[in-house]
Amino acid sequence: MQNLLNLYQLSPFLLILTVIGLTVMLIFKMKKIEELNSYVAHLKRSLDEIDEQAKLILRTDIELNKIQEELDRKIIALYALQRISREISTTIDESEIFAHIKDSHIEDMGFEKALIFLWNEKKKKFTEVFNLGYNPQELESIIEDLDNDFYLKIMETNQTISSFSCSDEQLKEKIKNLFKVNSFVITPLLPKEGNRGFVFVGREAMDTMLTAGNEELIIIFANQLSQTLDNARLFEKTWQAQQELERKVEERTLQLSRALEEIKMISKRKSDFVSAVSHELRTPLTSIKGYASILLSEKLGQLPPAVKERLDKINRHSDELAQLVNNLLDISRIESGKISMKLEPLNLKEIIEEVVDLMNVQLKEKEIEFKFELSADVEYVLADRQQLERVFINLLGNAIKFTPAKGKISIRASSLDNLCQIDITDTGIGIPQESLGAIFDEFYRVDNPINQKVKGTGLGLSLVKRIVEAHGGSIWVRSKLNEGSTFSFTIPKPK
Amino acid sequence: MDIGIGISQQKNITSALEEALWQAKAQLGKEKINIAFLFSCPEFASPSLLKTLHLYLPHTPLVGASTLAVIFNSHIYRHSLALCLIHSENLKVSVAAVKDIQKRNAFLAGEELGTKLLQDFKFERRDFAMVFSNGLLEESSSLIRGLQDRLGTSFPLVGACASDNLRFKETYLYFNDELLTDGAVGILFGGKIIFNLSSRHGWKPLGKIRRITQSKGNILIKIDDRPAVSLYEDYFARDLPSLKKDLKYLSTLYPIGIYLEGEEEYLLRNILYIEDDGSLICQGDVPQDSTIRLMIGTKESCLSATQQATEELMRGISTSVSIKKQINIVFIFDSASRYVLLRRSAEEELKLVQNTVQKNIPNKLEYSDSNIPIIGLYTYGEQAPLKALYYMGKSHFHNQSIVLTTIGD
Repeated sequence: MQNLLNLYQLSPFLLILTVIGLTVMLIFKMKKIEELNSYVAHLKRSLDEIDEQAKLILRTDIELNKIQEELDRKIIALYALQRISREISTTIDESEIFAHIKDSHIEDMGFEKALIFLWNEKKKKFTEVFNLGYNPQELESIIEDLDNDFYLKIMETNQTISSFSCSDEQLKEKIKNLFKVNSFVITPLLPKEGNRGFVFVGREAMDTMLTAGNEELIIIFANQLSQTLDNARLFEKTWQAQQELERKVEERTLQLSRALEEIKMISKRKSDFVSAVSHELRTPLTSIKGYASILLSEKLGQLPPAVKERLDKINRHSDELAQLVNNLLDISRIESGKISMKLEPLNLKEIIEEVVDLMNVQLKEKEIEFKFELSADVEYVLADRQQLERVFINLLGNAIKFTPAKGKISIRASSLDNLCQIDITDTGIGIPQESLGAIFDEFYRVDNPINQKVKGTGLGLSLVKRIVEAHGGSIWVRSKLNEGSTFSFTIPKPK
Repeated sequence: MDIGIGISQQKNITSALEEALWQAKAQLGKEKINIAFLFSCPEFASPSLLKTLHLYLPHTPLVGASTLAVIFNSHIYRHSLALCLIHSENLKVSVAAVKDIQKRNAFLAGEELGTKLLQDFKFERRDFAMVFSNGLLEESSSLIRGLQDRLGTSFPLVGACASDNLRFKETYLYFNDELLTDGAVGILFGGKIIFNLSSRHGWKPLGKIRRITQSKGNILIKIDDRPAVSLYEDYFARDLPSLKKDLKYLSTLYPIGIYLEGEEEYLLRNILYIEDDGSLICQGDVPQDSTIRLMIGTKESCLSATQQATEELMRGISTSVSIKKQINIVFIFDSASRYVLLRRSAEEELKLVQNTVQKNIPNKLEYSDSNIPIIGLYTYGEQAPLKALYYMGKSHFHNQSIVLTTIGD
């Protein structure tokens, strides 16, 4: 230091130079500090600005979050409503509908408490059918304090009340206190038929505001519920009606089957009786006919013509009676299944020709024009020869009997899948419409001049029908009075 | 290790319990059960639930907590009850509980819990601890510090604060046949098991850096020498009454983040109450002189954090040991705040965990037939170790986080 002072004493110029240098440096430093200060101030301002921007970001973010949250809530609520709709709409049992509403559905719609009540007209009180968020004691006290008239009026006027839209502060407070919530929606449940009621939903939380959207959602929910109730009740009603109908049908079926059993029993008794009687008749009839024949042979002595004539009658009537008894016996045998059809392939043409040969005398007597058509695909039928001949004899016999002289009779045979259809057409007197249904019945005889003159057993067609049916075929008739009749029957073809 | 998980959404408590138990036992297929976990929504929490369960499993240690929804595999089950039964020849567990924490010192309660847990572990190897505690407890950090005082500061510890259905009224803890509200239940795992832990939140800092100039435990009194509430007043341009009204919402989406040297993420603190003097009552400790920021979370950042946490978890999986010996089950402790933020996307987060776990299994052939079971609950606070070396694996109280734990043997 001493050296430095000495140096300055030696050279004042150097001193001046140092002072100047230091001053310049100081000025330079001052400038630098100033710059730095300004830079710091700038940085501080930037930071403050960034912080202000952060504030802006935060405020925007919170708004966005709230909007997003509201949107999320709405979407979740709509999903919940859709889920409920889907789950309850397929329910047809009324008691199941409310069981399908899950707690999470209501919560997703934005409410943590819910009650659904239905009005019980008999008991004059509301019955709870759905409960979320209340324990039994709380629920009991709510039902006890429920102002029935007020809620019935809501139902009557189809009015929705909510903490959002209700302007009656006193009423709002009353409802809030009753249900112990801070916001709520109450909307009626109005199915077209049956018990009506109301839906209550509520929130305890103070910090979430109810919106018109919440209210609308609950109204839609209640409507959906009402509709489902209607469907369930309608289904129940229809179901009940159907049950009643089914019960009646069953009852009637039982009555009918009893009657049928009775008829079958009677019919069997009749067959048994006829069969027994016929048997018993046949033996004396054979004796009568035998003795009549002996007497008529005049081996026992000459007979006066008057006696002979009477004996002839006895003989003829005995024949008729034997025929009758035989037919009756056959019918009852076929009916009881005692006769089995000896089925064999038969040449239809041969059978018909044989029968026609047999009847030729009568045909010629009445100068009836006979025609026989056999289509190419019918050659053989599967039948019992003797019985099939009986069918033809009976039907052709009837045709000749009821066809006036110079009339026409034709037999046509055609194929019908695995059956053969045979039509015997005549130009006879025909059958009155009212008799068509009965002509195959036993002992039924159409009331006409020919029948009044010519005797018959009334068993022929009945026997024919039974034979045809025993072959697995069927028989029917078409006829027009005074124009003629066509008897048709089917008989199986060999496979 | 064999796992059996049953879940039921039946309304009737007994029916739900029986259904879950039947499923879990059928799936477990073993008579011996080392430990049972019961997670249920608050409406199931009743003394009769635990008494009934105890009749069915009289010799099985049972722990659990209430939750706003049960997490099972990649789905969220509200109004449900889940039972998870674990059997392992290599596993040793000790369970303990403490009651009435708020009536006394939370730190002492933590110490008591630690002491009880250690009673059964004289010589065996201790692996890690899990704790379930009252979700409405203000001094959760103290409870954990007390527990660490006994178990060791760096002892691996994960925890979940029970939740209710976001009403913040009462949360429940399950301990054998007892139902606790203001308590904590601990499980000490030991024997020869393999575990992995990871946690993340995804919230990002916003705005200026600030400093806590006065605080005491979990009470944040002053930030930058101004009443702590001014932070929220400034940022949201709200007055005190309006802030108080919206506090749960604001604090869930915009918590305070404490800067931790070396950590990738800030330590988050939810605000439980605002005092009239402007102090903020936080859910965990807020050390004085800490640097803090206001935090902001978005769905994307939240999901991306979940992805990172799961990837981190799977990085702990060794390629030389069969995966079946390393992960038999994944526990998720997921903050209820994440549920609120993610809302409709909440299940996406769980699918992300499931997919990431499956994707990161070293030998793809293993577990290809069935997924690793995942069970968990939503929490009002989480405990998990910090990652930076500096903290030596010490567990801290977190908010807004997802904590993943895998256990295998």
